[in-house]
Amino acid sequence: MSIARILTLAAALAALGTEAAAQTPAATDPPAAIPGMLPGGAVQPVHDQEIFAHLFFNELEGRFIGSNSEFRWEGQGWLGTDYDKLWIKSEGTLQGNGTLDDGQHQFLYSRAITTYFDLQGGLRSDIDSRPTRNWGALGIQGLAPYFFDLELTGYASGEGHLAAKLEASYDLLLTQQLILQPQVELNVYSKADPARMVGAGFSDIDTGLRLRYEIDRKFAPYIGVVYEGKFGQTANFARRAGESTGDVRFVLGIRTWF
Amino acid sequence: MISDLYRLCAMSLMPIALIACTNSGILAADQGATPPLGVDLGGSGPVSTARAGEGNGPYPQLRSGMQMAHAGHNDAHGTGTVNSVDPAQHKINLSHQPISELGWPAMTMDFSVAAAVDLKSIKPGTRVDFTIEQQTGGMYEIKTITPLGGSR
Amino acid sequence: MSARPISPLPTLCRRRFMQGTAAAGALSLLPWRLRHALAAPAPVLSGTEFALAIEPVAVTINGHAAMATGVNGQLPAPILRWREGDTLTLAVTNRLSEPSSIHWHGVRTPSPMDGVPGLSFRGIAPGETFVYRFPVHQSGTYWYHSHSMFQEQTGLYGAIVIEPKGGYAQAFDRDYVVLLSDWSFETPETIVSNLKFQSDYYNYGQRTLGSFIEDAEKKGLAATVADRLEWGKMRMSPTDILDVSGATYTYLINGQAPAANWTALFRPGERVRLRFINGSSMSIFDVRVDGLPMIVVQADGNDVQPVTVDAFRISVAETYDVIVQPKADRAYTLFVQAEDRSGYARGTLAPRPGMAAAIPSMDPRPMRSMADMGMGSMQQGSMPGMNHGSMSGMQMDHGSMSGMSGMEASPEARKLQGSVGVDNVAMMPTERLNKAGEGFPPGRRVLTYADLRALKPGNDPRPPTHEITLHLTGNMERFIWGFDGKKFSEAGPIELKRGDRVRFVLINDTMMEHPIHLHGLWSELENGHGEFRPYKHTINVKPGEKLTYLVTADAPGRWAYHCHLLYHMETGMFREVHVA
Repeated sequence: MSIARILTLAAALAALGTEAAAQTPAATDPPAAIPGMLPGGAVQPVHDQEIFAHLFFNELEGRFIGSNSEFRWEGQGWLGTDYDKLWIKSEGTLQGNGTLDDGQHQFLYSRAITTYFDLQGGLRSDIDSRPTRNWGALGIQGLAPYFFDLELTGYASGEGHLAAKLEASYDLLLTQQLILQPQVELNVYSKADPARMVGAGFSDIDTGLRLRYEIDRKFAPYIGVVYEGKFGQTANFARRAGESTGDVRFVLGIRTWF
Repeated sequence: MISDLYRLCAMSLMPIALIACTNSGILAADQGATPPLGVDLGGSGPVSTARAGEGNGPYPQLRSGMQMAHAGHNDAHGTGTVNSVDPAQHKINLSHQPISELGWPAMTMDFSVAAAVDLKSIKPGTRVDFTIEQQTGGMYEIKTITPLGGSR
Repeated sequence: MSARPISPLPTLCRRRFMQGTAAAGALSLLPWRLRHALAAPAPVLSGTEFALAIEPVAVTINGHAAMATGVNGQLPAPILRWREGDTLTLAVTNRLSEPSSIHWHGVRTPSPMDGVPGLSFRGIAPGETFVYRFPVHQSGTYWYHSHSMFQEQTGLYGAIVIEPKGGYAQAFDRDYVVLLSDWSFETPETIVSNLKFQSDYYNYGQRTLGSFIEDAEKKGLAATVADRLEWGKMRMSPTDILDVSGATYTYLINGQAPAANWTALFRPGERVRLRFINGSSMSIFDVRVDGLPMIVVQADGNDVQPVTVDAFRISVAETYDVIVQPKADRAYTLFVQAEDRSGYARGTLAPRPGMAAAIPSMDPRPMRSMADMGMGSMQQGSMPGMNHGSMSGMQMDHGSMSGMSGMEASPEARKLQGSVGVDNVAMMPTERLNKAGEGFPPGRRVLTYADLRALKPGNDPRPPTHEITLHLTGNMERFIWGFDGKKFSEAGPIELKRGDRVRFVLINDTMMEHPIHLHGLWSELENGHGEFRPYKHTINVKPGEKLTYLVTADAPGRWAYHCHLLYHMETGMFREVHVA
């Protein structure tokens, strides 16, 4: 036999051998080690109960009036499936002098109940430079007719205080990337809480008009004006402490999510 | 201090925004290179109106069986030759004859074997009779397996 | 096609191919593994034994480098050339680090060879080789793609050309595969995640203050305000055409971006067959050859009575074979627009390489109407774009095509309203197979489903014994899709008995098109041609439309049944059809 024939035959035999080896079941990993395989070996053709997670800052801004400036954030994050999510919300204002004001943080379980709305329940903690308060929270969040984003939540504290918060906003597209957003947040309390400078009834409003440019869907710098107002008893507390009861501020910030 | 920081951030955002806004545009194709050419699969050859083949037809093995009443149970059975046995996974690789109940041609495939079946007497090379059933996961499982004779 | 330009291959004489060349014969003596190792990356693979390796492949698209999921080092995967009547062996090796699979779309195989993980087999584990073996009893243009996760989006798609045993019904001199696809530099997981947070993420054609002012000038302020309020009340946008658009996609012809100018050569006067395959994940295309009419001769691999059109809309997973006859010694632009006009794919038909014709400007962007929302039809009379020219001399059965009338929404449909998975129920779904759809300028002859008439009568003359009605549903805001308001994981299989003759009734409650694909069985679309109804594997249901098709359950097994928009399928628009 010529060298060429021997080599060809050897190569052919080697190939046949590896082909035969490939056809027999290989030594296995346990099923769970292979992504997409559930324990017990069941494989799904599609995966429609996946978990997604997102973090979103609607407000990440500097607020300026005259020489006085403060920094405010308002953000949310959720983790979960289409129906069940763990949801966190946080907002607060950092004053120029270093004190943290209006800190409200919520830890909620969110359940999709209708086409456009989720039912949310959990805990709200007011944590800032003033005494901490904890509340139970129950509310809804979603898209209302005419494309208004809406959050309406009721709270109850251990001491028998009740509260509610309404947040609404609307996106008006001036162009595909330039968007004008009016926004309002309104708080109401059943009882006064002097240590936190909060009065009974409608306590405060934070409303603004922001113009953002979406460089990317996930990154949009904006400018705008906001009005921070206090009502009734809350306004009295503010006046007594020498603080203003209604400020119009210029804002500059970033709206971002990922 | 915060306002200073903020003004700095705002000012640095502007050039970033301007850069990001500019359209990078599609890079022009190499002017001198030949464009990618399609592979010509050739002409049709002589055309014919009398055309065989399934196309709009039922599955051939079942053409005659279309008027058959449904068998009433899920088992199908066939004969074949065992190529290999995997006792750890309780699976075998089988080359089987066409199975008309399933419309399968002759194939060589791995099969899971029902737990109750003892694989000790099934050796590679054995000719076997077997019944198979489709499981809830979609995969076919051998329910019973009987050697037909000595291994070759 | 790989990104490298290839030298023009000698055109294969079909007769010689059918007989098999000597070289191919000699090569077949070697085991397939060795053959694969010896062969250079080949854009066309033929014969009866194939070795396909699924592996990451580096590609360059529009000058940007990326990693795609390729087969044998190529994007798209090689063209597989089969012959009707052969029994094929395809050894598929998975060299990815995740499970994979290949499904032969439109090709009727025994169910374990259909390639759907969880229904046909376990899938192909990383490092594993799965050997598909099945006989081929059909001919035409088909395609193959991964059925695992989002590999179809990252490049695992290729064409299948099955030569007919008895020869072709129409003559042609050249034959090209035109595989259309969409490519994104974002990962598919990112795309879905983006849509779950903001479902209009990729829609840069939304209504703005500018369009409000324009509309007010055209139709008056009151009418415009009323229109905005009507859509706003439903929380819907008539600009929702494609969920994922040219904002992230580069549209490809045979893996080539528009600037690369994929070219098909011809000699003036020749008849050129173009096998259009929509191998994209989410993109519906409007196709035309600028300056040439097209004769549609096959749809979904099956012969149809030739019909001459200027353009056609091809939904995901469909195929159309057309014949064009360029007579002039010039280049023609192959213009493939995304339905939402957010981008286009482009190629050229030319007598010599290096030529290019002007790229036309894109047609106006379509808008959804109240008929798409299932509010019944707004217009009477003939629609622009309806092609009647080729219908002369043919009897059309109008019995099942009322055109304008609809049915009141059934009680079970009304029950769907308000649930998490449903944002709309079509109150008066319309039958409109004779409408091409929105977005075509008047005067252009556009193909409609009503134009498709099979060349030979169907094989099963029985009428259906029962009907299965399914609503195509979805919640655009949450990006959830399903059938009858339920995702795959929330519903059971659809049960059929072997030999059943059944009618599927599909009602599209959503405002998006859905190309619905049934594995393993032919769908005979009831489009008014009686026993000459076309055999299809993928049927595009328009928004607010109701259509029906007949199925003979002649192949046993667990068959996948799903919307072929990949991100709809993966978020729930999937069912099992079990033929016992």
